Amino acid sequence: MRLLRLKAEQLRQFRDPVEIRDLEPGINLFIGPNESGKTTLVRAIRAAFFERHKSSSVNDLQPWGDSAAAPTVELDFEWQGQSWKLVKSFLKKKRCDLTVDGTVYSGDEGEERLSNLLGYEYAGKGASQQKHWGIPGLLWVEQGSGEEIQGPVEFAGEHLKAALGGNLGEVTSSRGDALINQVAAERAKLLTATGKTTGDYAKAIAEVDRLQEQFEALQDRVRQYREQVDRLGQLREEKARAETDRLWESYRQQAKDAEARLAEVMAWQRDQDRDQQALEECQTSIQTTLELLNGFQDKQTELARREEEKGEAEQKQADLETRKPGHEKAVAEAGQAHKAARKTLKLAQQHQQRKELARELQGIEADLESDTAKLARARELHSVLLENRQKQQSLEIDPQAVERLKGVTSELDHLAIQQDAVATRLQIDLTDDQSITLNGERVVGRSEHLLIEPGEVAIEGVGTLRVLPGGEDVAEIARARQNLTDDQESLLSRLRVTSLAEAEGRLKQLQELKQAIQRDESLLKESAPEGLEALSDRLRLRQARKDELASQIQALPEQDDNSSPLSLAEAQLESAQQVLESAEAARQKLTGDLSLAEQALNRAKQEWERLNNELQAPDRKQREKQASDRLIELRLKESGLKERLAEREKQIDQAQPDVLEQDFERFNKSADAAEQQQENRNRDLIKIQAFLEAAGAEGLEEQSAELETELDRANRRRRELERRAKALDLLLTRLTEHRLELTRQLQAPLQRHLNRYLQLLFPEASLTVDENLIPEVLIRQGLGGEERGKFEELSFGAREQTALVSRLAYADLLLEAGRPTLIILDDALVHSDAERLIAMKRVLYDAGQRHQMLLFTCHPDNWRDMGVIARDVEELKG
Amino acid sequence: MSRFLHTADWQVGRQYSNFAPDDAVALAEARLSVIERIADLASEEAVDAVLVAGDVFDAQTVSDRTIRRLFNAMSPYTGPWILIPGNHDAALAESVWTRAQRLGAVPDNAHLALRPKVLEFAEAGFAVLPAPLTQRHTQTDLTGWFDQAETPLGLLRIGLAHGSVQGILAEEVDSPNPIAANRADTARLDYLALGDWHGSKEISLRVWYSGTPEQDRFKGNDPGNVLLVDIPKAGAEPRVEIRPTGQHPWIQMTERLAVSSDLDQLIAKLEQQPEKAVVALRLEGEITLLGKQQLEGSLSVAEARFRSLRYDLSDLSLLATDEDIAALHADGYVGEVISELRDEQNGDAGEIAREAMAILASMLLEKQAVGGDA
Repeated sequence: MRLLRLKAEQLRQFRDPVEIRDLEPGINLFIGPNESGKTTLVRAIRAAFFERHKSSSVNDLQPWGDSAAAPTVELDFEWQGQSWKLVKSFLKKKRCDLTVDGTVYSGDEGEERLSNLLGYEYAGKGASQQKHWGIPGLLWVEQGSGEEIQGPVEFAGEHLKAALGGNLGEVTSSRGDALINQVAAERAKLLTATGKTTGDYAKAIAEVDRLQEQFEALQDRVRQYREQVDRLGQLREEKARAETDRLWESYRQQAKDAEARLAEVMAWQRDQDRDQQALEECQTSIQTTLELLNGFQDKQTELARREEEKGEAEQKQADLETRKPGHEKAVAEAGQAHKAARKTLKLAQQHQQRKELARELQGIEADLESDTAKLARARELHSVLLENRQKQQSLEIDPQAVERLKGVTSELDHLAIQQDAVATRLQIDLTDDQSITLNGERVVGRSEHLLIEPGEVAIEGVGTLRVLPGGEDVAEIARARQNLTDDQESLLSRLRVTSLAEAEGRLKQLQELKQAIQRDESLLKESAPEGLEALSDRLRLRQARKDELASQIQALPEQDDNSSPLSLAEAQLESAQQVLESAEAARQKLTGDLSLAEQALNRAKQEWERLNNELQAPDRKQREKQASDRLIELRLKESGLKERLAEREKQIDQAQPDVLEQDFERFNKSADAAEQQQENRNRDLIKIQAFLEAAGAEGLEEQSAELETELDRANRRRRELERRAKALDLLLTRLTEHRLELTRQLQAPLQRHLNRYLQLLFPEASLTVDENLIPEVLIRQGLGGEERGKFEELSFGAREQTALVSRLAYADLLLEAGRPTLIILDDALVHSDAERLIAMKRVLYDAGQRHQMLLFTCHPDNWRDMGVIARDVEELKG
Repeated sequence: MSRFLHTADWQVGRQYSNFAPDDAVALAEARLSVIERIADLASEEAVDAVLVAGDVFDAQTVSDRTIRRLFNAMSPYTGPWILIPGNHDAALAESVWTRAQRLGAVPDNAHLALRPKVLEFAEAGFAVLPAPLTQRHTQTDLTGWFDQAETPLGLLRIGLAHGSVQGILAEEVDSPNPIAANRADTARLDYLALGDWHGSKEISLRVWYSGTPEQDRFKGNDPGNVLLVDIPKAGAEPRVEIRPTGQHPWIQMTERLAVSSDLDQLIAKLEQQPEKAVVALRLEGEITLLGKQQLEGSLSVAEARFRSLRYDLSDLSLLATDEDIAALHADGYVGEVISELRDEQNGDAGEIAREAMAILASMLLEKQAVGGDA
């Protein structure tokens, strides 16, 4: 469809006719400021198509205040090679004339043709609204509503379907959806979303389970009942048989027989026990008798043994007796030898003593000589010492005083020198014969004098010269010298010497004396360490001892040459002693042995005699004979008993008393059991009979059959519901699948167109559309990967851009389906930033290659690069 | 001349699990009411005795009430009733019979032949040789003792047994209880009244199965009768007359639907069936979606006429014709789904597919009825 010419008259701003000619097949750009009439143009186009010419609700078309106006729109366009011309007037002149290639369709007819061509509806009453606009509503974007897409697509839905192909008819129709909803609702009554049973279906299953359980329980009871019936029959039969057989009676008789036989055997056993006891007694007697006989035999044997023992004892005693004299002799000899040895020893000891005493005497004599010499010397030393000590006393001097004296003297000498140095030197040199007097002394010749004190030199004839030594020093030195001289004199006086030299000489003399005393004292000590008295006493004591020893030696015998030495004598004595002791011990032992032997002999003799007497007793023979006879008798009795016992034992064994006892027990128990069994049977019969009567009254099988009927019915219902549930499930699945499949078929081409535009806007982006073909999610490649944004959550700008892209995609789709497409954009994309606007212009330019597009804007600068000459709406009016 | 009414297999206490509750009750009730009719017939025909050849009760443990009602139902006929137990009500140590006796429900004129022992009815001129089942099943011929059984001279020898005559009903027997085919001859019987076979059947001149007096299953082997037996004298040939007693015929129908007129024919055929009938209808072939709706309407009408009408449509394929789809406005993908389901209805899950298709069709029809496009 290509719009060629547009003319509006008496329409809003256009009181005068406005005509636009030579519209381009692609983009047509109209510019003009606000209020310039762009929107009025758009309104004129919309009114020409959407509003019925008869409508009285289009007062807005009249120029303001001009109620007499008849707003008129004229449109020329081409469609499929045909030339269409529409002239439509409203209000004061309600007319619609549509000429298609010369054929005129007036009024409603014309309007119907238009609406069929473009795909929209007319309002039943009043002004046309969005919901009527159909496909143009999608392609003609009004000012400020560019971001809306859902409403327009929905309103275009039916026409889109009609336009896009019959087989897609059900997709967005409420009919198919209603059907699916109904199926889903029906299914939901029986199945949950996850496919679990619910509602009546679940109830039906529960009912089946309940009945099944009851039925099975009842079946069990029926089975039980039948078993009990069988058991009853069986028991009755058994009971009858038992009553015929009466087994317990025969068992009792058998038990009785066994008991009698057992009593007989028991009697045998008692006899057997008695004989056994007799046998044991007999065997005891045999034993006793045997022991008695053995006793007799033993005594005889013992006598012989005693006899022998006696002989042995005699022999032993005799032997010992013969050894006795030898031993006596040995003892005597040994005693003799011992005595001699003792004598020899005594002599040897005396010799030894004398020798020792003589040796001591010798020593003492030597000591005496030495001590005497020592004493003499000591006495001499002692006298020298006394003398020296006396001398020492006279020479005694204080060494310290001497030392002090020495110091004072030295100091004096020092002072003298000093005095000499400071003293006034008076040198006199007199002519011969001449003399003078100095300090009263006469001086001749040549001399020098030191004056330390004022001096007077008297010269005869001349007078007197007083010399006064100058300075204090002289006086002081003189005073000090005086002091020292005083000290010196004092010391000398104390030391009773005249000079220092004398004092020193005495001191030296004293020292030498002291040394001599020391030496002598040492010597004295050596000679008489304990003093002279002690030494003297010792000398006396030694003298006394010497005298004593001499007398002792005198008393002892003198030693001859052949006398034995002491040690030998001692050894000899010891040996003699030992010999004597051993001889005596041997004799002692022999005496002991002999005494023992005698005792043994006596005992043996006594034993032998006692036994011999016993054996020689007169009744002994007789008793032995009696015992022998009794033994024979007892042996006979024993064998008899043994024979009898063995015979009876065999008899008892053959009778098998154990088995008899068991038989008795067994038969008795069997009889008991048989009776008990019969009794049990009777009891069971009564019990079962009672049970069956009670159970029979319940009519179990009839109940069971009734229940089965109910169960069958429940099962049928369950199956029906199951089938319905499955069918609904299948139906829902199929319908949903097909619907989805169809949706995909429809979506695919739209998607293709959408993506083509989107690449210009957002590289690598894609836009999903929902089943109603409404944009749903925009998927873009961001820095962090894929970004998904729901359409309604996009920014206003992005929404407007995306919506426009979608509209263009629809236009492509319609074009492909051979439908007319005219795109009108009134002040579109005012919310897009510069960058996006550039992209969108590319998109629009691309769409303009296929579709005619009327673009109105009040921002001419933004749109100058659309490759067309802009038409100024103001100018059109002019 | 002696006259007997021979019947068997009353199966009192039987429940009908496959039927709707009210039908099941009515059918169970019918088993008792037929006894009343037998008693009436016995009175009318002045028979010498009614011979009941086993399976009087359907089970051992029926309710006391059922036992009492059975014997009450026999009351119109005051002559002797001679009953033997069958496999369903064998004379076990404890049985429905001992219970009936304990309850005091058995009238004096009802003779329960629970032991194989000759029952003499000298005045009426006959002796009955019963072969009661004392076990549920037996492999021995219980009529064997008839051969040696002595009866007073001049009395008719009437055998009464329950089981399958060997060699004749071999494959269709209800139980293995065998009866020698020549028993009537070997035991010199004037008549052998048999039970167990539910249809009336002549085995030989003197040997008959009476069948059940009221049909209880669909097998159509002439049930629902009693036998009126006339025996002129001992050794004479008996005359047997079949008398219908059943109230509810059981009818089984299998019809094939191919073209739309078949449906009309089916409806006409159903209308021809007697009322009170118990009908089982099985349909094969195919039917359109719209035809199915029509069929269901017709079946609903027929259901009201009969005692019971059950139908099985599992072999009836649904056709979704273009007209169907158009009529249902099932264009677009809904139409595709219908086609898909139609193709699947003969497969493994065909039943489900068919059901799904039926549901879909009914929903679409419902929508149309409501007013189409909402």
